[in-house]
Amino acid sequence: MAEAAADKGQEQEQRQAGPPGLLRDRFLIRSNQPLTELSTPTAEAFAAEDRRDSNRSLYALICKPELPPRVNVMRALRGLQSPGLQTLVEWGPMNWPPTGRQCMTVVYERPGGRKLVANNRPNEIRRIDEYDIGRKVVEPLVAAIRELTGRGITHRSIRPTNLFYMDGAGERIAFGDCVSAPPAFSQPMVFETIESGMAHPVARGSGTYSDDLYALGVTLVFLIFGRNPVAGLDDETILKMKIQQGTFTTLVGDERLPISMTEVLRGLLCDDGDQRWDIEALDLWQQGRRMTPLQPRVEKRAARGFPFQGKEYFNCRELAAAMTKNWEAAIPPVLEGKLELWLRRAVEDKERAQAVSDVVRMALGGTSDKKVVSDLMMCKILILLDPSAPIRYKGFSAMPDGFGSALAALMAQRSDTKLLVEMIMREVPKLWFEARNVYQPDNSLMEQNFRELRAYLSQTGTGFGLERCLYEMNDALPCQSPLMGEEYVVELKDLLPALNAAAAKRTESRQPPVDRHIAAFMGARARSDIDRNLLGLSDPDTGKSLMALLNLYAVFQYRLGPESLPNLAAWLGALAGPMMGCYHSREKRKELEKEIPRLVRKGSIVEIYQLLDDAEARGKDESEYVWGQAQYQAAEDEIKRILADEDERKVEADRVGKQTAAVTGILIALITITFVVIARVW
Amino acid sequence: MPQKQHGGGLNKGVVLMILAALVPFSLPTVVVLFFTMLPTLAAWGTEKGPHKYAWLCVGGLNLSGVIPYLFGLWFGIHNLDAAFDLLSDATVLLVAYGTSAIGWLIYMVMPPLVASWLSYTSERRVAAMKAAQKKLIERWGDEVGKKPQPAGAAPAGVE
Repeated sequence: MAEAAADKGQEQEQRQAGPPGLLRDRFLIRSNQPLTELSTPTAEAFAAEDRRDSNRSLYALICKPELPPRVNVMRALRGLQSPGLQTLVEWGPMNWPPTGRQCMTVVYERPGGRKLVANNRPNEIRRIDEYDIGRKVVEPLVAAIRELTGRGITHRSIRPTNLFYMDGAGERIAFGDCVSAPPAFSQPMVFETIESGMAHPVARGSGTYSDDLYALGVTLVFLIFGRNPVAGLDDETILKMKIQQGTFTTLVGDERLPISMTEVLRGLLCDDGDQRWDIEALDLWQQGRRMTPLQPRVEKRAARGFPFQGKEYFNCRELAAAMTKNWEAAIPPVLEGKLELWLRRAVEDKERAQAVSDVVRMALGGTSDKKVVSDLMMCKILILLDPSAPIRYKGFSAMPDGFGSALAALMAQRSDTKLLVEMIMREVPKLWFEARNVYQPDNSLMEQNFRELRAYLSQTGTGFGLERCLYEMNDALPCQSPLMGEEYVVELKDLLPALNAAAAKRTESRQPPVDRHIAAFMGARARSDIDRNLLGLSDPDTGKSLMALLNLYAVFQYRLGPESLPNLAAWLGALAGPMMGCYHSREKRKELEKEIPRLVRKGSIVEIYQLLDDAEARGKDESEYVWGQAQYQAAEDEIKRILADEDERKVEADRVGKQTAAVTGILIALITITFVVIARVW
Repeated sequence: MPQKQHGGGLNKGVVLMILAALVPFSLPTVVVLFFTMLPTLAAWGTEKGPHKYAWLCVGGLNLSGVIPYLFGLWFGIHNLDAAFDLLSDATVLLVAYGTSAIGWLIYMVMPPLVASWLSYTSERRVAAMKAAQKKLIERWGDEVGKKPQPAGAAPAGVE
């Protein structure tokens, strides 16, 4: 009876879940077999099957559509086998029946053992013995980080709830998924460095391998203690403690640790990124070479606190973090010189006090919009107070390489992007880059990118604006256009086939097969500079804008294929009316109307474009048209002249009539005289 | 136009003086001409306006009516009796005045006739122009009727 009920329930669940998904015609993702224990905060796990090898144990993660996955990392990790990594077997967009749309799917090899810490019991951590931790944990995980570093990528999801026993015996531990969400999006604050922890979770950026090593250090502390040493503390308190005491002291406190572990944890949990242990230091440690433990360097404590919003702050980093959260309230004390005074007298940092004073003086002497000036002043002040913190503006904090994922997430959630736009337009990142003490090529590159983004934001036409920034900053983000329907387009070569598929389902025929997202996507993904062509899309003349679109699609079809796109060609053909408008001759238009259906059936956008954009025919048409206009105008002027001369004509007729009568009279007289003379003479 | 009026008066005076000079040499002719050409004189004296063509038209016809009788006088007996005999013949006066009446008729009918002709030709011209425009519209559409834009005024964004 119970079995029957269970079967019934299973059947019902299967019906609700719908049919399975199929990735790349090979991997079957069973929507009726969810694997809760393998799910991540940003992706649901389901059982997967390789149709070529059914014995292979796999599972798939279905990414949330509102978060941009790390496609570049997926590309780098595909097929990579490392002792400390789950093997990423395949990835790609897949039509996922439960959601009725395409979702990014990642197929991993299923671990032989369980998760180290279950998702639903994050505080139940199994302690790992200090003698085993090197072999079981550090060795494979450091190997994995080394492998990732070698490929120029970071994991950014290192935490106990994302570690797996890869074998049933629990001898080998490996990292879990790191691609289904933006970097470090799901990381609790404790696993992030102070700087990264200050940033908005979606804007933490890819960071460096040093961030991974820090997270590994925190993970090791959790595993050695078998518990979360800061359980019960909120993120703000943890951050405050890390700033005041340093991460090592915050997490380890007075706990006793073996000397070898103290050494590695001090190295990994060092808050100064430059001093933090790197892979080589870890290798040396693994080889048994003893190193001097790093002593934590904490922020200098002021002689007296800076009163702000009812609290007293004793160091610059904390104060900067508080001011970021209370932006408007922070402006008056800074402008009044209280901050400068505090830095000069309580912190005894005259150099910083002078820099603050200079910034305030410049802001007070500014002639432009006071609000903008004071906002930019606050940005500079916060950078002076905490140079290593993320880029901060009106309560929003982002690492420079986290802007892209932040914008993608905000746009996907249809949230307000005003702050990000303001940051770019007001060149806030530039202030941050200018404050770097050490030259880093990556920073120069990013600064250049921000300059380009500002230029794109300044242009409001189709193909530019915020959408363009979105695709420029996220080179693996799929096109977000609603015209795409269920299609998941990451690369330009997939755009036309996707539009062709969407064209088959379209109901609205008057809308052209382009919108701001598609245009921006093309602009960002095209290898050559197509900005001039994109400008044509915003032409107020519909014919010219459609012609510019046809030109772009024709070029893409010619370069990237496929040869036949009948549905998209039909869509464009249906809009050919305004494009044929570039020919004045009605006869030519009729010719084109007859020719286009043939090319539509052939699916050739290239030929449709060539037909409509025949330069010689257009030139001839244009010159003949201009001549026709001149003829028409001449006739018009003549008609007007004739009609306007009515009265004059009456006078003229009277005069000519009278003259004619006079001449007639004279002629009659002459003829009569001639006849009479002849009659008399003869 | 006082000068013109003055000129007109002068001309009339000259003509009268010439006629007066002819009197001693050919009085019978002058008498016949004077009485038979009275409508012409009337036309000459009464017409107003800048263009005086009535006396030419009326005069021409009037003269054609008179000339056969005048030749009869010249080639017959050329004296005052014969002149008055002619003038006393009702047929002579009827012919002279009748032809001048025809002259008036021609003078009155000719301007409307010419006006009608001019109007007809203008209408034909307008119709021909409109037909040409219609053909242009058939070939190029209504926009051909728009005034061409001056060079350099092309819409923005055109490559």
